[in-house]
Amino acid sequence: MRDMIRAEWTKFRTVRGWVVGMVLAAVVVMMFGLFPGVQGNCGRHGTGSECVLPVGPEGGEVSDSFMFAHQPLTGDGTLTVRVADLTGVLLGDPDRAGLAPWTKAGLIVKDGTKPGSAYAAVMVTGGHGVRMQHNFAHDRAGRAGSWLRLTRAGQTVTGASSADGVTWTTVDSVRMTLPATVELGMFVASPQYAEVMASSLGSVGASGGPSRATALFDHVSRDGTWTGTPVGGPGNAEPGQRGGLLPTGDGFTVTGTGDIAPAVAGAAGIGTTVTQTLIGTFAGLILVVVVATMSVTAEYRRGLIRTTVTASPRRGRVLAAKALVLGAVTFVVGLVAAAVVVLGGQQLLRNAGTYLHPASTATELRLIVGTATLLAVSAVLGLALGVLLRRGTTAVTAAIVTIVLPYLLAMTVLPTEAARWLLRVTPAAAFAVQQSATEYAQVDNLYTPIEGYFPLAPWAGLAVLTGWTALALALAAHRLRRRDA
Amino acid sequence: MTALRAEWTKFRTSPGTIGLLLVLVATTVAVSAAAAAAITCRGDCEIDPARVSLTGVRLGQAVVAILAVLMIGTEYGTGMIRTTLTAVPRRWTVLLAKSAVLVAVVAVAATVAVLGSLLVGRELLPAGQTFSWTAAPVLRAMIGSVVYLVLVALLGLGVATAVRNAAAAIGLVLGLLYLFPILALSVSDPTWIRRLEKVGPMTAGLGVQATKGLEDLAIGPWRGIGVLGAWALAALVVGGVLLRRRDA
Amino acid sequence: MTDATIVVDGLRKRFGANTALDGMSFTVRPGQVTGFLGPNGAGKSTTMRVILALDSADAGTALIGGRPYRSLRRPLRHVGSLLDAGALQPGRTARDHLLWIAYSQGLGARRVDEVIGQAGLGSVARRRAGGFSLGMRQRLGIATALLGDPAAVLLDEPFNGMDPEGIIWMRGFLRALAAEGRAVLVSSHLMAELQDTADRVVIAGRGRVIADRSVAELLTAASDGRVTVRSTAATAAGVLAAAGATATPTGAGQLTVSGLTASEVVGALTAGGVPFSEVSAHRATLEDAYLELTRDAVEFRAEVTR
Repeated sequence: MRDMIRAEWTKFRTVRGWVVGMVLAAVVVMMFGLFPGVQGNCGRHGTGSECVLPVGPEGGEVSDSFMFAHQPLTGDGTLTVRVADLTGVLLGDPDRAGLAPWTKAGLIVKDGTKPGSAYAAVMVTGGHGVRMQHNFAHDRAGRAGSWLRLTRAGQTVTGASSADGVTWTTVDSVRMTLPATVELGMFVASPQYAEVMASSLGSVGASGGPSRATALFDHVSRDGTWTGTPVGGPGNAEPGQRGGLLPTGDGFTVTGTGDIAPAVAGAAGIGTTVTQTLIGTFAGLILVVVVATMSVTAEYRRGLIRTTVTASPRRGRVLAAKALVLGAVTFVVGLVAAAVVVLGGQQLLRNAGTYLHPASTATELRLIVGTATLLAVSAVLGLALGVLLRRGTTAVTAAIVTIVLPYLLAMTVLPTEAARWLLRVTPAAAFAVQQSATEYAQVDNLYTPIEGYFPLAPWAGLAVLTGWTALALALAAHRLRRRDA
Repeated sequence: MTALRAEWTKFRTSPGTIGLLLVLVATTVAVSAAAAAAITCRGDCEIDPARVSLTGVRLGQAVVAILAVLMIGTEYGTGMIRTTLTAVPRRWTVLLAKSAVLVAVVAVAATVAVLGSLLVGRELLPAGQTFSWTAAPVLRAMIGSVVYLVLVALLGLGVATAVRNAAAAIGLVLGLLYLFPILALSVSDPTWIRRLEKVGPMTAGLGVQATKGLEDLAIGPWRGIGVLGAWALAALVVGGVLLRRRDA
Repeated sequence: MTDATIVVDGLRKRFGANTALDGMSFTVRPGQVTGFLGPNGAGKSTTMRVILALDSADAGTALIGGRPYRSLRRPLRHVGSLLDAGALQPGRTARDHLLWIAYSQGLGARRVDEVIGQAGLGSVARRRAGGFSLGMRQRLGIATALLGDPAAVLLDEPFNGMDPEGIIWMRGFLRALAAEGRAVLVSSHLMAELQDTADRVVIAGRGRVIADRSVAELLTAASDGRVTVRSTAATAAGVLAAAGATATPTGAGQLTVSGLTASEVVGALTAGGVPFSEVSAHRATLEDAYLELTRDAVEFRAEVTR
């Protein structure tokens, strides 16, 4: 087997066209990745003026902008209110009355008013009932009711809800690190809303925009001065629409916008993800598949396959050696190209003023290795199809069409459900491995493939492609063994 | 004229030709049908029914490209190109004869595929999402799709003549077709999206399938077909010049 | 060197309605050049492909030193072969082509350079094989066959496309291989190419062996004892008939005699006082013998039609 691999490697490296093709594949991946061609909005008002997102207490970037009516609380304490009314406006063309599903109004205890600081909050929402959330990533549903209570006792914060202000049900009780003095009060946040719609082109589009909400709080259990502070950056609304705090009767009217949640890319967030740097993968993929397929169909065309199987009569092993060599070569080429664009492309995108969600090292690693694997497995698929179909043209087309076309159809013409189905069952599912955005239940966003959200987990998507490739390879081995060469 | 007859005979008698034409019709209609069946919303979504029914053209064009590339690619693969050029030494004549045969054959097969797709699409689309056969935009989408496939064929022939290797040629053609929409998908700058959609042979050319919302197109329907035509012409000219200049 | 005897036994193979092999059996022994002759379509190439496990036979076996080809671990060290000299990747150099094959057999670059020298390819080894003439491709094919220093060598129509100089080189080369104790099987559809080269010939027709003899035997059989006599004497025929021979006039002053050997003819003529200018044993060429044997087996015979 070692001899065979060495032979196949020699065979591959001694045809200049194939080597050039592989190098070219790496070059196009890098070219597309390092040439963003997109000028972002960030940095136009000075370096990093509006594109630095706060980082939450558990790491990870967050949206943290809302209207906060607060007073300091030292030591333990409790605040009870009734959310008497919650209304909102979806800003757009034209503005419409309505609440975004994750419009939030309620009570919050927070480590100061700095965005990204630790907090715990209990709230009523536009479409998801009563929730208790803390430190951006955690979310728990509670029993419905317009009465809310938030209690701090040491490092424990407990949220409760009630329909009548008499009978209380605990929503959640969380332990967290808070300083002795915290800010306690009422808040309103209303996030970017997003709606999926089919556009007139038959393609799936999205519409959305900022939203604003107003809540009336009464039966406020604590006296004292409430200070109205808009927490966070400019948020999602124009400066004039940031809302405010108005004493109303025996309560307060708080108007706010923004969101307290993990930051997401796409329609409901800002900027893009590191996945953007890998858009050249498609061009590289086509080249890799052409080379891989040709490396075997050329043998058929010239009759060289007979020399090959005369030298190594165990044909299954010949195929294995070929697959191994091609897979390894492509993997290395893909690894280099992906590493260059993932590591270098991010900086370039940022320099071009595009907001880029930072990716953890683990994510970067998965993207690099995953992309290399995606290319390598596609090459092996091309090889297997080459053995099965024996003609370069049909084999190349079959490989490209099965990998690329489902992706394209899913992204352009098909409705979301059909698109998700395609990206679960076809080889195109493998592109999930390039996904770098996380889906959060507590953030409304277009979690559609077009925004970089795939229906399968990264490695599961790659497994689909690998499965198809294994099937094609098995059929190819069978065919190679059974047929006269 | 004799060159034309020779090319037609060669085309008709090469194995797999009829099969590919059947595959062209079958895949186009099948994908169109699947896309139409995937539309479940009734009145509440805004789709372009005729365009959805023509989704299969996006796959069909790949089959058309194979057909076109093989037309000259196999001759280079087997060395038969030398026989061809010995029989008809005027090389532009050879290329024109091949183009003429290809145009005729693809036009017929594409017409069947497009009509089949619309017919099936009309059946499968949900009630309320339908189109009239005689409406001018639907006719334009119909005729435009046929012209689109014919031009893709010429693009394929031109590229294959220039590249002389069937597998590399098909990779190049599919890359040209599919890469532009994918790039347009992944950039976020609207000006760049429109720019890419304007110059891409597939994105510009398929605009002809739109029967509504024309104002959203990056480029007008017939002008889009013109862009694809320019690509095809450029490929043919490059192919022809190289064929003329190079040793066979 | 390993056991090199190739034993083909009862091979049968059909391609659809065509019977390609119909009980093909013969043995290729070490130290001999075995010519494998037969008209086109007699099953020569198919037999070689079955020996090399390229095609599978419907019935029968083909063994090299008692083992099927597929079971050989490094087969090119047992059997070297040249089937189709055109089977090359045109973009690869001759040396690189040999190199990958060498690696597949666990051999190194040194062996490659050796066979390049042996096949006389030294000056073109680093050129792309796509630009080779047919003769050079044949030499590259020979180099490939020799790469593993095999005990048996199979060559399918190696004289095709060779110039006269190349043919002479090839003949000497085949003799040398046999002299080294290798079993050599060479197919050809032209007897003349093998006349002075082969020790033994296997003549195939319609998928089976028609004759399997040494070249000497074949020649004797083909000559069937006829003697040509040149004599202007009218008595010659009578004298020979009296001696028990059958004499037929085959031209002006020429008789073809059968039933007596050349020396008996000379004796009879001398005893009878018949003057003659020449007595020669009819020496058949291998070509005649071959045509005689394959007359019925030629698959596509050119018909003379009006």
